[in-house]
Amino acid sequence: MHEHAVTRSFRLGIAGPVGVGKSSLIALVCSELRHEFRLGVVTNDIYTDEDARFLRSAGVLEPERIRAVETGACPHTAIRDDVTANLLAVEDLEHDFAPLDVVLVESGGDNLTATFSPALIDAQIFVLDVAGGGDVARKGGPGISRADLLVVNKTDLGPYVGVDVAQMKVDASTARDGRPVIALSRTDRASIDELTTWLRSMVAQFRGGTHSPVDPGPMAPHFHADGTVHSHA
Amino acid sequence: MPTPSPDLLLALLADARLPVGGHTQSAGLEPAMTHGGLRSGDVPEFLRGRLATVVAVEAGTAVLARHRVARGGNLTDVEDAWAARTPSAPLREVSRTLGRGYLRMADRVFPHPVWAGFPRDPPRPLVLGALAAVAGLDSARLVRLVGHEDVATVAAAALKLDPLDPLETTRWALDAHPLIERLVERCSELETPADIPAPSAPLVEEFSVLHHRTKQRLFHA
Repeated sequence: MHEHAVTRSFRLGIAGPVGVGKSSLIALVCSELRHEFRLGVVTNDIYTDEDARFLRSAGVLEPERIRAVETGACPHTAIRDDVTANLLAVEDLEHDFAPLDVVLVESGGDNLTATFSPALIDAQIFVLDVAGGGDVARKGGPGISRADLLVVNKTDLGPYVGVDVAQMKVDASTARDGRPVIALSRTDRASIDELTTWLRSMVAQFRGGTHSPVDPGPMAPHFHADGTVHSHA
Repeated sequence: MPTPSPDLLLALLADARLPVGGHTQSAGLEPAMTHGGLRSGDVPEFLRGRLATVVAVEAGTAVLARHRVARGGNLTDVEDAWAARTPSAPLREVSRTLGRGYLRMADRVFPHPVWAGFPRDPPRPLVLGALAAVAGLDSARLVRLVGHEDVATVAAAALKLDPLDPLETTRWALDAHPLIERLVERCSELETPADIPAPSAPLVEEFSVLHHRTKQRLFHA
């Protein structure tokens, strides 16, 4: 196949249920890091190019660097079972704006089981928000348990929705065996710095060749009634 | 690799789970529903129209591409013949996007020197034809693949666009079989690019252009 000389970017997936703030998180990353990294964004909207339009109108990136991919009402398939459309969009961005440092791929909001295939992305962030309920982190699932980073978003809303943010973060860390968790709010400067520090470190690991994509997998290690705990990984 | 079963090969390539981006497509159904007022009851007739026109172009092109690759020839005039019969720019672009998806799969799963000569975004029927030559699929099965693929894409998309019983759409696909066999008779023996059917489907083309400009859509095309 005819290969085009383009730079391979660090490809970062952003997954999580509808409404947790995936687009806002991408807008935040873009506005924080656009002078430091050459960025591109692929969105997977369910029925419109709403997310792409939101990001374009947020003015955080040139509109041409934000591409919307139709998923045929199958957002889960598009990031997991058949990543073709997304992969072509990522390659197009890398081709049209070479060299790119980071491409952010936003999944169409799906349920807790939807995670990115390592065929599409190098690392992934799973996003929850406090408004979805303090117990969601405890429910677990492949994204919550094993994404490279779990973000608990909108922590500033905690007092209004009756969620103990500190406890939710502890629950999340427990579900993740100590993998990183960031309690994020766009009004909390320290949390934003934590996020950008994590991303810089991932890009450095990717460039240094020390990062290997981790697949959260379809099923978390789980318990059986006979007392055994095992994993299908 | 042992001689493959052409039936298993056809089943593999016709499987909706083949990761080539098929789930992003409605084969013109969403454009026709949005811009042409098509309703689910009209779909069997819609399928008949597609199989007689745009799908015949696709199938004929794929058959010619298969012949050429099997004989080590080049595909330039086959591609030209396809483009001349596909007047809608969005439909040509969609075919090239799908072609990229198939090429990506073919290059990995059916390794062969022929893929190195392909451009970045070949039209889908060229890749399908070359794949048939490389993998060992005869012309008749290749036409069945193209026909079934179109029908199955419309049927699957219909379930997302209208409240329907999935068994009803399966019935549509079955009922289209005689039409697909007619396409086999029409296209599987073609020998030169000039033989590729050149019907017109002005509404399909018009709706494809309108869809391309539509903001709210589930499917790429």
